[in-house]
Amino acid sequence: MNLLDFARGPALEWSFAIFLFGVLWRLLGILLLRRVHDYSEPRAHRAALGALQAIVRRTWPRKEFRARTTYGLAISYVFHVGLAIVVFGFVPHILLIRSLLGVSWPGLPGAVIYFSAVVTLAALVMALIRRLTHPVLKLLSNFDDYFSWAVTIAPLVTGLLAVAHYGGRYENLLAVHILSVELLFIWFPFGKLMHAVLFVLARGQTGVVYGRRGAST
Amino acid sequence: MSSDIDTLHPLDIEGTRLTVKKPALRYDRQGDMSDDRRVEAAMRAFVREFGATSAAYLESCIHCGMCAEACHYYVQTNDPRYTPVRKLEPFKQAYKRESGPFAFFYRMFNLKPRVTVDELQQWQELIYDSCTMCGRCTLICPMGIDIAHLVGQARHGMFQAGLVPHELWAVAERAEREGSPLGATPKVFKDRIDWLSDEHGVEISVDREVADVLVSMSSVEIMKYPLAIVATARVLNALGEKWTIRLDGYEATNFGMLSGNAQWQKDLSMKIINAAIKCKAKLLLLPECGHAYGAMRWDGANMYGKPLPFEVLHVSEYLARNLGNGRLKVKNLPKSVTFHDPCQIARRGGATQAPRQVLGKLGVELREMSPSGDVNWCCGGGGGVVTIHRADDLRYKVFQIKMKQVDESGAEMLVMSCSNCRLTFDDGQAHFKWDKTAHSLLELVADNLVQ
Amino acid sequence: MSKDDSLGESLRKQGISRRAFMKFCAATASVLALPPGMATVMAAALSRARRPSVIYLSYQECTGCGESLTRSFSPTLESLIFNAMSLDYYETLQAAAGTAAEAARKTAMKENWGKYLLVVDGAVPVGNDGVYCTIAGESAVDILTEAAKGAAAVVSVGTCAAFGGIPHANPNPTGAVAVSQIVRDKPVVNVSGCPPVPEVITGVLAHYLTFGSIPELDHLGRPKVFFGETIHDRCYRRPFYDQGKFAKTFDDEGARNGWCLYELGCKGPVTYNACATVKWNQGTSYPIESGHGCLGCSEPDFWDKGSFYQALSTGTWSGATVLGVAAVAGAAIGVGAAVVSRRRQAHLDNEKQPKEKQP
Ligand code: HEM
Ligand code: SF4
Ligand code: SF4
Ligand code: SF4
Ligand code: SF4
Repeated sequence: MNLLDFARGPALEWSFAIFLFGVLWRLLGILLLRRVHDYSEPRAHRAALGALQAIVRRTWPRKEFRARTTYGLAISYVFHVGLAIVVFGFVPHILLIRSLLGVSWPGLPGAVIYFSAVVTLAALVMALIRRLTHPVLKLLSNFDDYFSWAVTIAPLVTGLLAVAHYGGRYENLLAVHILSVELLFIWFPFGKLMHAVLFVLARGQTGVVYGRRGAST
Repeated sequence: MSSDIDTLHPLDIEGTRLTVKKPALRYDRQGDMSDDRRVEAAMRAFVREFGATSAAYLESCIHCGMCAEACHYYVQTNDPRYTPVRKLEPFKQAYKRESGPFAFFYRMFNLKPRVTVDELQQWQELIYDSCTMCGRCTLICPMGIDIAHLVGQARHGMFQAGLVPHELWAVAERAEREGSPLGATPKVFKDRIDWLSDEHGVEISVDREVADVLVSMSSVEIMKYPLAIVATARVLNALGEKWTIRLDGYEATNFGMLSGNAQWQKDLSMKIINAAIKCKAKLLLLPECGHAYGAMRWDGANMYGKPLPFEVLHVSEYLARNLGNGRLKVKNLPKSVTFHDPCQIARRGGATQAPRQVLGKLGVELREMSPSGDVNWCCGGGGGVVTIHRADDLRYKVFQIKMKQVDESGAEMLVMSCSNCRLTFDDGQAHFKWDKTAHSLLELVADNLVQ
Repeated sequence: MSKDDSLGESLRKQGISRRAFMKFCAATASVLALPPGMATVMAAALSRARRPSVIYLSYQECTGCGESLTRSFSPTLESLIFNAMSLDYYETLQAAAGTAAEAARKTAMKENWGKYLLVVDGAVPVGNDGVYCTIAGESAVDILTEAAKGAAAVVSVGTCAAFGGIPHANPNPTGAVAVSQIVRDKPVVNVSGCPPVPEVITGVLAHYLTFGSIPELDHLGRPKVFFGETIHDRCYRRPFYDQGKFAKTFDDEGARNGWCLYELGCKGPVTYNACATVKWNQGTSYPIESGHGCLGCSEPDFWDKGSFYQALSTGTWSGATVLGVAAVAGAAIGVGAAVVSRRRQAHLDNEKQPKEKQP
């Protein structure tokens, strides 16, 4: 079995298994902790609406906060959108998703993907520089932040190298690319990348509280 | 009124703000527990807080640092120590080690070290002196993490560890013992009512057996802004309400909550709840006090353990309702006004529009601060911070945001609906020799009533 | 024709013109990616070369490689180059049979000891002492071992000989291995493909005749000139791949428009072979031109890499069992973690809180 066979076979299977294992572990470990009932009389019976509003609206900042957050958010918007384009727009990726979940959608031309990947890469590098230089981020950051950054940028780098046939034989580059994605899957449930799932919970909760109070979410 | 506490921590009734006199020697560690016991007590209390809600919050922070940009302490100092989510560090650490889904591994490999008493002590300043629980950070956080709520939970552990700032502990203890944090004991209160009633020729109903409306007061008002009592009576009398003040349940401030003692919080809330039930009140009227609103409107039923059998309204909501339905009438006030939203009533309370409706009925020209409403800047005195002498310099620093906002609004008059904000403004005014005076929305209405 | 004739003489005897010979040399030089001037050098070298002895052994194979090699009639390049050599043993083509055939092999080996070229197609079974393939009572592995001893070089023709191929595929009941697993002390050229492109075989032989050496090999022992690029690198459908235009079925609009076959399982991106450049049937076309994706036949274990019709980017795993087990285990541990936390809380709730002392 060569590296590519390993990456496409057992490694893929195990990385998904660990992903599923970890996500369920972490989610249930959170969701099944105790809950206290809120007996206060709601101002508005808007808990569900509030949750939905918060989940959607927190995607962009209120205008009052924009002046102080635009730079950081622009970076993060670029790399999130870029990641989405690369992850969900590239036909080989769509085929993998289809083979797992049975759903698919039309892909984007290679040029769009490569361009997005390069832009995303640049934005991620800027995010790292910001993290290393901004006093608040410097203070907050820990291993998780840097490692999650690394496993996020790794598939982009290896993917671009594979496309460019740079640094080795294509099948090995492809294998390394797939392995780097698997590393991302394996790390996902255990680090901050899990925010891609948890944001629904955290935003939703605050939305419920604020929705009941009739406060702006 | 002359216990140990009074000799050790006498009240400063005469100063521009109401708290205990600046202690010559600070006691920021209560009790004589060993360090280990303190840490253990904090951990126990922390662990009891960790439910599904706080867990989801603590798990989802992505260290993006945006919360700092919303917090007046960071914005005014540029000191990253004041980043909101960092104020939770010991709490988060305890969570990861003790309660999170991966707690076992955190303990086994010591991935998060045990919290030490030094850390807790260091964090006292962050959890108390530099957080007003205003919830601006909650509003900016892209993950929607309610940091202000978590700070409140973290204070529970700090209290159990005996690591509460001197003044906050002293007033909380006094509230539990005397029923009021700032010397407004039933006797003092009754004397004030009698005097006010004489002086202003207004009937103030005390201890009625049965009443539709139970009126509660903040000790800040009783001791510092007693005209609020008169104004409340005028409004209720004008409406012809069957109302009362009860000496067995009137103090609406809740320093049990602010200092972090859940039991005291409950004791204080239950006094009012029981009084309201006793007189079969249909409505509990809360005074112009932000945290009193949060404590009763949103936490009251949870202290009671079931839904409250009466309605709870902040006085601004009550005014808006009765001005809106025409039962109450006011004269036109040809002035420009800017309104300071108390965080606990607007952003965290949802009653943002009520004061604006009231001001609309008064016909004033409302000049909003920028930003205002749900996104307003905190006055810097909430969460018990205004009581802490140690925090004064920092508080003045953040108050400057407010001064700038008010000045820029260009309004002739500055109005708010929280006596604690008002206290903070008065103190800031004196400190900076500022030309703006804070006014009460309630008093403004009472002064302009059409009889 | 006599064995001692030079190649030039032998060709002349067959009535092949100098012109046709030069054309062959030019074509072969170009297939080998040699500079144009090399065609003359090659012609000169080939004319002078003595026809070397070639022993062609076949083991676990389907004769597809032989078919490929001998597909067409004279005067094709293939037959030409074979006439240029002394093929002393090749079961498929030789007239002799039985002991006579074996004797011919032994004689050829003896006469040309140390000089003959050994060509092998088919994998070699080594399971159970090699009983799964025997000729005249001798096992394939033994014959090969002995024959290799006297060979100047070995050419493994086809993926079976080169990498084990289909006999080697899971579960490999005969213990089939590649020739290079057995012949360790002689240069082995792997001309893989199932079957290999005929010009690739002749090209390698021509190179050997011209330069007396084997061409430069890649890490899998394949000549770099033919196996240096992937099918995908040189595929005429590549522009469609780049534009994201893919055929979804074998008879849809995309397929008719000649769009890329990636979604239909084409393994061109990871397959190194000369199909897309040299093509098949005298340069007529290659499989992708006929509308079918590349199977990856020139790569080791191509038979065991999942379905030929599954896209390269999809995984190759057995089933959902591992995932199911993982999900159940994760859920169980998650529930367990929550239960432990709740127990601790309940325990703390029941304990009396220490009474606060006054300062
Ligand atoms: C689907 C919902 C998602 C949401 C709502 C979301 C939201 C966010 C937000 C608000 C930030 C902070 C931005 C900042 O630093 O200013 C962030 C950071 C980040 N996100 Fe996401 N994200 C999502 C999915 C993902 C996915 C799928 C990945 C990667 C696989 C990802 C990778 C990252 C990384 C690496 C960072 C940190 C960058 C850094 O500052 O070093 N996110 N995300
Ligand atoms: S609640 Fe207010 S004071 Fe406290 S950290 Fe958040 S923004 Fe700062
Ligand atoms: S804004 Fe929210 S997610 Fe970002 S660092 Fe602060 S608490 Fe964490
Ligand atoms: S048909 Fe196959 S080799 Fe050709 S471009 Fe598509 S994937 Fe590549
Ligand atoms: S196209 Fe691929 S599968 Fe077909 S013969 Fe060529 S290498 Fe083999």
